[in-house]
Amino acid sequence: MKKEDTVKLISAEGFEFVIDKKAAMVSQTIRNMLTSPVSFAETEHGEVTFPEISTTILEKICQYFYWSLQYASGKETEFHIEPELTLELIMAADYLHT
Amino acid sequence: MGGACSRKRDQQVNEDNLNRGVSGRYTKSGSSKWLGTSFSRASMDPSQGKQSCPSLMDLCICKIREDLNKYSTFSMLPRDISQQIFDDLVCSQRLTDSVLEAFRDCALQDLNLGEYPGFNDSWMDIVSSQGSSLLSVDLSGSDVTDSGLIFLKDCKNLQALNFNYCDQISDKGLEQITGLSNLTTLSFKRNNLITAQGISSLSGLINLVKLDLERCPKIQGGLIHLKGLAKLESLNVNCCNCITDADMKALSGLTSLNSLQIASSKVTDNGVSFLRDLNKLALLNMEGCPVSAACLESLTALDALLFLNLSRCNLTDDGCEKFSKLQSLKVLNLGFNEISGAILVHLKGLTNLESLNLDSCRINDEGMVHLAGLSRLKCLELSDTEVGSSGLRHLSGRARARMTERASEKGLSKDNSKSQRSDCHTSGLLNLESLNLSFTVVTDGGLKKLSGLSSLKSLNLDARQITDAGLAVLTNLTGLTHLDLFGARITDSGTNYLKSFKNLRSLEICGGGLTDAGVKNIKDLTSLTLLNLSQNHHLTDKSLESISGLTQLVSLNVSNSRVTSAGLQHLKTLKNLKSLTLESCKVTAADIKKLQSSDLPNLVSFRPE
Repeated sequence: MKKEDTVKLISAEGFEFVIDKKAAMVSQTIRNMLTSPVSFAETEHGEVTFPEISTTILEKICQYFYWSLQYASGKETEFHIEPELTLELIMAADYLHT
Repeated sequence: MGGACSRKRDQQVNEDNLNRGVSGRYTKSGSSKWLGTSFSRASMDPSQGKQSCPSLMDLCICKIREDLNKYSTFSMLPRDISQQIFDDLVCSQRLTDSVLEAFRDCALQDLNLGEYPGFNDSWMDIVSSQGSSLLSVDLSGSDVTDSGLIFLKDCKNLQALNFNYCDQISDKGLEQITGLSNLTTLSFKRNNLITAQGISSLSGLINLVKLDLERCPKIQGGLIHLKGLAKLESLNVNCCNCITDADMKALSGLTSLNSLQIASSKVTDNGVSFLRDLNKLALLNMEGCPVSAACLESLTALDALLFLNLSRCNLTDDGCEKFSKLQSLKVLNLGFNEISGAILVHLKGLTNLESLNLDSCRINDEGMVHLAGLSRLKCLELSDTEVGSSGLRHLSGRARARMTERASEKGLSKDNSKSQRSDCHTSGLLNLESLNLSFTVVTDGGLKKLSGLSSLKSLNLDARQITDAGLAVLTNLTGLTHLDLFGARITDSGTNYLKSFKNLRSLEICGGGLTDAGVKNIKDLTSLTLLNLSQNHHLTDKSLESISGLTQLVSLNVSNSRVTSAGLQHLKTLKNLKSLTLESCKVTAADIKKLQSSDLPNLVSFRPE
C-alpha cells in the first residue's frame, strides 16, 4: 500500500491501524474529517485519533470497513460479531456514522 | 462518545399505521382515503430499493436482536441508539414484557407500538419511565385502559398521542390527559365510549393542532368544547353520524382550521353556513352529507379552498352554477351524485383544477367540451358514466388558433383584429396523467383520440367493448405506468402491443382471453410491480415460467387458472413478492407456505391461506 492511499487510525491505548483510505472512508465521520477544509483536532497528516475507542473495537471496525468493500463488490459473506463486543461496537458505529 | 450524529426524528405518530403489514383488522374509512386517489396513482408506488451493504449499526442491532436475553438494560446507551434498537424490536415483533424492561429510563422519544400484540396497561410503566423525553406514543389497537393512561402524567412534553381503536378507553381516560398541555396531535378513531363529557377534557389543550375523532358515534354536542382551541388546524369527524349543524356552529370561530372532514355526518346546508369565515380552509370533505348545491354559497368566500369532496351527497343540477365561483379549487370530487352533463359548463372556468371525479354521474358526451380548457387537469375520473368516443374528442383537443393564410400573406400582423381565426379549440389536456374510462361506452375507435395525450401514466379501460384493436392505437403512450384492462376482451394478439409500454408497473388483464402464449409477450416488462391475470382459465404453469423474470413484482394474482403447485418453483426468483393470490387453482396454502419459508421472505399475504 502506498502511503498516500492509507490512513492511520489510533485507538485509546495508542495502537495504530494503517488501512486503505478507501476502507476508512466507509465511515462518514472519517470521510468528513479527511476531506474537510477545516482541520480537526483528531486529524493530522493522515492520522486520526480516537481517544474513546478501545483497540479491540477499533480492530473490529477496520474489519468491518474491509468487509463492507468486499460486500459492495459482490462478495456477500457474513460478518461475525462477538456478543461481548456488541454494545461497545454499536456506540462506536454510531459515532463513526457507519 | 456518541451524540456526534443525532438521529433525525422522522418517527411521527402515524395514525394510518402503514409501516406494519400485519394489520388486517382495521381498514381505513373509504372517505379519508379519497385524497390518496385524487391524483395519479403513478406517483404512489412502493419504492424498490436495491439491497445495499448493511451498515455496522444494522449488523449490531441484528446481533442484539439475536442475543436479546443477554441484555438487562440499554439505559447506558445514548438515546439515539436505544431508540433504534427499540424500533427494530417492534418491527421484528420481538418485544415482550421482559424485553421491554431493558428500555426503562432510556429517555426514548418515540414509542410506535400501534397494534402491537400484547400491549396492555402493564407496559405503561415503562412508557412513563421515559419521562420528559417522551414526545410521541402510539398505542392504537391495544388493550390499554383508562387506568393505563394515568401513567402518561409523567410525560409532560408529550406532543403526539394516538389511541385509535382502543376499545377500553372512555371519558375517564381523557380526564387523565388534561395536563398534557404540550399535545399538538391527538387521535382516537373509532371509540364507542367517549362522549361530549370526554371531549370537555380537551378544552385546555390549547396547543392542539390536529385532532382525529373519526368514527366516534357518541360525541354529539361535544365540539362546543373545542371552541377555545385557537391553534387547531385539522379536525376529522368523518363517519361520526351524530355530528349536526350545532357542532358546526361551535367551529365557526376556529379560523386556523385548514382541514375539516365531516363525511357521513348529519350536517346540512345550514350547518355549512357556519363555515363561511374559516378563511384558511383548504380542505373540506363532506362526502355523504345531506347537503345540496346551495351550500356552495357559504363557500364562495373561502379563497384558500383547494380540495372539496361532495361525493355521495345526492346533489342534483339545481344550484350547480355556484361551482363557477370556486376558482381556487384544485381537487373536486362529485362522484355518485344525480348530476348531469349540464353542470359541466359551470366547471369551465375552474382553471386551477388538477383532479376531477365524476364517477357514476349522469354525464355523457354533451358537456365534455367544457372540460377541454382545464389544461392543468392531471386526473379525470369518468368511470360508470355515459361518456363515449365523441366525448373523448374534447379531451385530446385540436390545433391552436390560427390566422388564415390570406391574412398572414398580406402582412396584417399589425392589426390583429382583422385576422381570421380558423380554429378556436384548445390543445387538449396535455397534462393529463390519469384517466379512468371503466364502464363507459368508449370504443376501440374512440381510444385513438387519446394517442396524443403523451403525459398519460395511468389508464383504466375496464370495459367489455374494448378489444385488442383498442390497445393497438395506444402504443405510442410509452409513458404508461398503470394499465387496467380488467374486463376488456384482450387476447394473445393484443398482448403484442403491450411490449411498447416498457415503463409499465401495474397491469391487469382478467377478461379470460389469454393463454400461455400471450403471457410470454409480457415477460420483458421487467418494471412490473403488480400483475393481475386472474380469471384467464387457460393459463398453465408455463405462464408462471414467463413471469419468473419479473423480479420487481410485489403483487401477483393468477387465480382461477390452471396453475398448479408444480408451477410454484418458477416464483422462487420473485424476491420482492409481498402478496400472492392463487385462489381456485390446484394450489394449497401449505404449498405456498413452503415457498414462503424457503424462498420468498417478503411474502406476507397469500391466498389460499
